[in-house]
Amino acid sequence: MTHRPYTPWLFLLPGLAVCLMFTIFPFLNMIVLAFTDASALGGGQFTGVDNFVRMAQDPKFWLAARNSLLYMIGVVPPLVLLPLLIAMLAQKVVPGIGIFRTAFFTPVIASAVVVGLIWTWLLDSRGLVNSVVEALGGTRIPFLTDSTLLLVSSMVVTVWRGLGYYMVIYLAALANVPKDLHEAAMVDGAGPVRRFWSVTVPALRPTMVLIAALSAVNGFRVFSEIYLLSGGTGGPGGAGTTMVMLIQSVGRGLTGEVGYASALSFVLFVILLGLLLITLKLNRREDQL
Amino acid sequence: MKRRTFLAGLVALPITSSVAGCGLSSNTASNSSASGQVTGEITFQTWSLKPKYTDYVNGVIDAFQKQHQGTTVKWVDQPADGYLAKVMADASAGSLPDVINVPPDLSFPLAKAGQLVNLDESLKDAKPEYLENAWQAFEIPGKGGCYGFPWYLNTGPIFYNKALFTQAGLDPNKPPTNFKELEQQALQLAQKKVAMLGQTPSIADFGLYGVKVFENDKFTFNEPKGVEFVETYKRMYDVGALIPEALTQNYTGAGAKFMAQQTALNPGSAYDLGKFKTDAPSLYANIGITKPITNTGSANMFLHGVSVPKSSKNQATALAFGRFVTNAENQVKFAKLASIFPSTSKGGDDPYFTTEDGSDEARVRVAAAKQLKTAVNYTPVQFSDQMREALLQQLADAMLGKKSAKQALDDAVAECNRLLK
Repeated sequence: MTHRPYTPWLFLLPGLAVCLMFTIFPFLNMIVLAFTDASALGGGQFTGVDNFVRMAQDPKFWLAARNSLLYMIGVVPPLVLLPLLIAMLAQKVVPGIGIFRTAFFTPVIASAVVVGLIWTWLLDSRGLVNSVVEALGGTRIPFLTDSTLLLVSSMVVTVWRGLGYYMVIYLAALANVPKDLHEAAMVDGAGPVRRFWSVTVPALRPTMVLIAALSAVNGFRVFSEIYLLSGGTGGPGGAGTTMVMLIQSVGRGLTGEVGYASALSFVLFVILLGLLLITLKLNRREDQL
Repeated sequence: MKRRTFLAGLVALPITSSVAGCGLSSNTASNSSASGQVTGEITFQTWSLKPKYTDYVNGVIDAFQKQHQGTTVKWVDQPADGYLAKVMADASAGSLPDVINVPPDLSFPLAKAGQLVNLDESLKDAKPEYLENAWQAFEIPGKGGCYGFPWYLNTGPIFYNKALFTQAGLDPNKPPTNFKELEQQALQLAQKKVAMLGQTPSIADFGLYGVKVFENDKFTFNEPKGVEFVETYKRMYDVGALIPEALTQNYTGAGAKFMAQQTALNPGSAYDLGKFKTDAPSLYANIGITKPITNTGSANMFLHGVSVPKSSKNQATALAFGRFVTNAENQVKFAKLASIFPSTSKGGDDPYFTTEDGSDEARVRVAAAKQLKTAVNYTPVQFSDQMREALLQQLADAMLGKKSAKQALDDAVAECNRLLK
């Protein structure tokens, strides 16, 4: 049987075509547009680095970058630790465990809009949570109308939505932790906590780094949670706006400033690329130690 | 190294595509002439009319095709969600449908970019068929030219919740008739922990207050009267006369809060009254209806129209169809089905809009039809979505006391004028 060198490319062609059309071309187009004053209805003129100069002087950009950074810092630790704990509970083979696994995974497959609506009803000034708070004699908490609490509420939703997804990754990784290591540790007299720190965690370190990287990137690019909880406004005065919300706000509609929105997208891309490279470097250094 | 780059690219690329898919296109104008033969196929795009008005639209299309043998109208209805994105994508690609349903604020950027047919030039005799204020709404201010056939109009009364008024010790038969009374009654309601309003003022509210919103090609709503208006709202916000969500929500959100009986007063339309009846019967049982609050003597008006893009390959047919859809006969039929009002000069003379039959619906309809004769579209066509957001954000800062009313309005006007360029 002869092997023709172009055969694999023929199989790859449909996927490559889709990738080129919907990912590579828009990406390159975005870079070009970032240096223009393009609008939705016109190609615009080349403006050099004007968009980036404007960005440096734009308080909205700094606010959005700060909020995205805070968001990332807020969601990464719980998204690295909580799914691990849940996965350790869910990996046990006991009757009815499937129900729990399904329950944890349901938010992952639920529509973002449905999730947003449910949480809005819960956290609204007259929502379920505030009704309980009032019934207990407390005063209403402005979960969605205070910019700080809006960010925190959105972080809770992000963590709640992400638990199931990262739990599945941990479940797969936990299944690969050699049982004989646990048995050897037990023979040496190690208890469950000691085995967790000395056997499970080292074996899961690459998975934890992967989850940290993925959740950091997703946290920095948060959009739907804040958008839905704030009714698309980014909270009072737009004080809860994040980077992707800012890009959407600047670039949307027939009057959108597509050039500036592209410049913002480009900066976001560079930040995320930097984040991933740092994570990979840290991971490699730990591997070498 | 290759793996790293791929991983980073994989994560970062999709976020860019939303804005990167547009912009590098040129506008296309066809060689089709407005004075050509009315024949051939055209596409008609509407805004969320299926399935409720399917029979009506199909009836209009059939009648047009019978009147103009050899024509075919293909009807495409787009849902309200994403309508703007669809128009934007089509406009960027130069492939807008031949006849397109757009409100004035959507027709304006398209007209400004030279993408729509000027009806004042192409159909010089059409203007007298429509209400003057409706025709003006589709003109580019200061530059002339009309870029859309006015289609349906709406205006409405103020709805208020009589039960909440009574609960707060107010006379349920004496709703506010001016802004001063609105503030007095709102403060009284707030003492009983009842919020009067569900949103901060929109640009149209500034117009209703008598503020000069737009003059000499720039926004001017930071004038002293505008500041006075925002200060009124600030006083109401401070005592809880506005719900906390008022800082972030729009007309739809405020309407939902009124339906949930969390606010006591909300502007609405004849359409809303039908919605209360079916979706909020306990509110409907206590609904009070009163005239719009205005300092100018003219109510606010909302309208939709149909425009013909220059890129249409069959402009003559598209223009004939646009005029046919919006003629008096078709508009009156549509208005009777949909709690809206015709924009033609004679449409409002139909007894349906002038005679009451004792029902609340008829009372609202007749009052609204009367109101429309002098109503004004207080929202300047230049007022884009970004400007609306800027105003909402600045007003939130003013309500929260982060800025004075004057500073907030100065900042909002500066941003709106920057976006105008």
